[in-house]
Amino acid sequence: MENKIRISPFEDGLLIKFSGDLDSSKTLLYRNRIQKEMIKSAPRFLLFDLKDCSFIDSAGIGLILGRFNEIEKVNGACGFLNLSSYARKIIKISGLLSIMKEYQSLGSFKKEMGVIL
Amino acid sequence: MKNKMELKFAATLENESLARSSVSIFIAPLNPTLEEIGEIKTIVSEAVSNAIIHGYNFDDEKYVTLKCELNGNLLSIVVIDYGKGIKDVEEAKTPHYSTRPDLERAGMGMTIMETLSDYFEVVSVYGMGSKIIIKKELQHVDSYEGETI
Ligand SMILES: Nc1ncnc2c1ncn2[C@@H]1O[C@H](COP(=O)(O)OP(=O)(O)OP(=O)(O)O)[C@@H](O)[C@H]1O
Ligand SMILES: [Mg+2]
Repeated sequence: MENKIRISPFEDGLLIKFSGDLDSSKTLLYRNRIQKEMIKSAPRFLLFDLKDCSFIDSAGIGLILGRFNEIEKVNGACGFLNLSSYARKIIKISGLLSIMKEYQSLGSFKKEMGVIL
Repeated sequence: MKNKMELKFAATLENESLARSSVSIFIAPLNPTLEEIGEIKTIVSEAVSNAIIHGYNFDDEKYVTLKCELNGNLLSIVVIDYGKGIKDVEEAKTPHYSTRPDLERAGMGMTIMETLSDYFEVVSVYGMGSKIIIKKELQHVDSYEGETI
């Protein structure tokens, strides 16, 4: 599978979808892409979709944690969508699951965050 | 199942996927679960990226060595670099400790490797290099093993 990032805005946030391998050779590029979008739309919420993410390691953890720290400054929140049991394990070990929750859908994330109008 | 392999490659991040794919092909005869394959690929990437980033500071003239051994369902992985070395191994293993926060490293590589493996050892001499030794038992052993002629 091709390694890709897709960022799509929703009301007050960004849905960030990783495909393929999320490793050290990609994270700095992805950081720039996400930060560019964040400057454009000033989101309060980031939702990371790992449905098509076939690989993750600490580089991906660093990328997500870095964005979490930026969102925290604007009193926003981050979440995960579609974690495989493997990805959930890596994310759990890294401690991210204690600061970001996993959601069933974009809809349930919006509902919990109160971004639905 | 008994097998061995060794791979030597330039210290560049592009070779991380070469390293982890090689290991996943190496263990394929044992029919590992998707979760096991994922965990092993992550372990390999953590060790290899540390060698490239911290050991060699991205000097692609240098080489990283990856050795694997299968003994029954026990997989041993060794990753070696002759780079910078680690001054204080215990400190390096501490969760969230990283000397490269500028690269947005979380300092979780050692913790992830240690948690995912059954045996984890870091041998390092400052100024000489580092050797990471990992052992992991695979659960999903091919039940027809031994019946080959
Ligand atoms: N092969 C190595 N050679 C020299 N120093 C190393 C090596 N491996 C690890 N280190 C040192 O140990 C520290 C911790 O390593 P660890 O993998 O836990 O975190 P990291 O690589 O900094 O971040 P992350 O793995 O989360 O991206 C590194 O920051 C580095 O200083
Ligand atoms: Mg690391």
